[in-house]
Amino acid sequence: MPSDPNRLFEFRCPVHGFIQLNVWEREIVNHLDFQRLRRIRQLAWTDYIYPGAMHTRFEHSLGVMHVATRLFDAIEERSKDLLEKEFSYQSAAWGRHRQLVRLAALLHDIGHGPFSHAGEELMPARLNGDGKHEHEDYSAAIIRTRLKDVINNHQLNTSNWGILAENVAALLEGKTSAAETLFWRDLVTGQLDADRMDYLLRDALHTGARSGVFDLDRIVSTIVAIPHENRGPRLGISEGGVHAAESLVLARYFMFTQVYFHRTRISYDYHLQQALQELLPEGSFPPPANVDGSVNEDGINEYLSWDDWRVQYELQEDKGGDHGKRLLNRNHYREVFHTVESPGRPEVEEYELIKKALGELVVYEAVAGKKWYKLERSDVPVRSERQSNGQVKPLSHHSKLVGSLKPIAQRRLYVEKEKQSDANALRDGVLINKKRGEDD
Amino acid sequence: MIEDLDKYILIEELSRKRGGKIGRTALMKFMFFLQTIRNMPLGYRFTLYSYGPFDSDVLSDLGEAELLEYVESDIMEYPGGYGYEIRPTDPPSKSDILSQYDGDINWVIEEFGELNSAELELASTAVFADREEPSSSQSLEDLVNRVRQVKPHFTKETIRARVEDLLNKDLLSSIKG
Repeated sequence: MPSDPNRLFEFRCPVHGFIQLNVWEREIVNHLDFQRLRRIRQLAWTDYIYPGAMHTRFEHSLGVMHVATRLFDAIEERSKDLLEKEFSYQSAAWGRHRQLVRLAALLHDIGHGPFSHAGEELMPARLNGDGKHEHEDYSAAIIRTRLKDVINNHQLNTSNWGILAENVAALLEGKTSAAETLFWRDLVTGQLDADRMDYLLRDALHTGARSGVFDLDRIVSTIVAIPHENRGPRLGISEGGVHAAESLVLARYFMFTQVYFHRTRISYDYHLQQALQELLPEGSFPPPANVDGSVNEDGINEYLSWDDWRVQYELQEDKGGDHGKRLLNRNHYREVFHTVESPGRPEVEEYELIKKALGELVVYEAVAGKKWYKLERSDVPVRSERQSNGQVKPLSHHSKLVGSLKPIAQRRLYVEKEKQSDANALRDGVLINKKRGEDD
Repeated sequence: MIEDLDKYILIEELSRKRGGKIGRTALMKFMFFLQTIRNMPLGYRFTLYSYGPFDSDVLSDLGEAELLEYVESDIMEYPGGYGYEIRPTDPPSKSDILSQYDGDINWVIEEFGELNSAELELASTAVFADREEPSSSQSLEDLVNRVRQVKPHFTKETIRARVEDLLNKDLLSSIKG
């Protein structure tokens, strides 16, 4: 008997309750490449600091799909007329766009390497010279090749939406071929994206750092497409959601300072990166693309063979060099100095003085605002509900708290544990001399 | 790759040379043009949104440039909404990057300094769409149609005029003939 194409399946999620999947999405989730995400921890070695942080990209990916769907449905309900006018959507397009957003959200992290962001520094340079590849490049390559069949040819898809793997990859990558669906890209990667909303709640739950919690329900009930004179609509919120959006910004700020840029967590990330460099055959991951721009299928296959389990096994086999040993023995580098969270010129000058005095004792330097843990200065448009013209002002106008937040650009210096006392003495010497100079 | 500190000084210089103030959209698109057309090694990764090429790292660099007092900024209200006004601080910073890339900085101000945000979004989207395709591989009309799919609120005539302007300035590479 053929299976019911309309049957829904459920996962029980610790953050969102039940998450539903259709039969097509279930096939995708059952794919080996998606199952691999069960073996990629969301926050790498963070459990050494927050023992509960053992969650994976698998549950996060399901959560992002769920949140993106809630946001999409809310926008459709509230802004349907505006978007149909702006993008000439036919009514049938809504179902296709919704399904496309669900897939993009579900698969956005399928290209993560072992221990998530920790190994991203080992991705090779892009051929066009624009820095290094990122996990998104691997996600798009995996979708275009290994997931092509399960996306393009599933009966539920072919008989309803005709979505191609290329459509999903183009939306994730931000290509012109995504055309009018690019409006929805902000739901997957943007200021009000489902990725951020899920990882904050999920990381808060699993680490126990409750300051990551914000009012998702209120965001959902106030998210809206806002017309923008001569420039097309933008995602924003109506005025009733100001405090929820404020709590989202603050949640991100607190999670950044307490978890993502935690001094010891950052140190473990560094050791992991260095140990991975020892383990990888060329000291880096294979590129996702060939010179002619086509997908490097052999490289992708090799890339996907790396997951947390393999890395942990090889570390146990003592193949990770000095840094691998440090991970196994919890002998991580020690922070010896950090600036305030938002240093100005005087604080940066003091930092440089100490760094110079420590010289070769410094074995690692971490700078917030770089790499994945950056906290860029963003602002959300807020539409007034009281004024008939629907005036739009930024969140930082409505919230003095958000308006006064400065970007985090903290810097940290690390030394070997055995040299911490020497480094502390040198650091203190610089600070005492500086104080004397100021007093004089 | 251009160092972070030099990028902050570049932000200051762009705001100074654009009549003492620059908006966030203009800053984002100027950085895109400088990297994409003039090959300045800024190390950004621009991807496309409905509002044109964007990389949040540009905003991170702007935030640090503000913290270190290379620039200051305020929210400005306009009849149709709001924007950000980024201004240089005094005294002007000095760096080798300013002499090394002086021609590029002057070029971007000269070519795009007079465009408003909507026009910058359109021009940068056209350049983005152009660079996605190999050299001499599509017609002007193909490019116009691709841009229109992303920015349907512009008429075809407006898009065509912008694309022709970019082509006449020799800033597009994918157009045949």
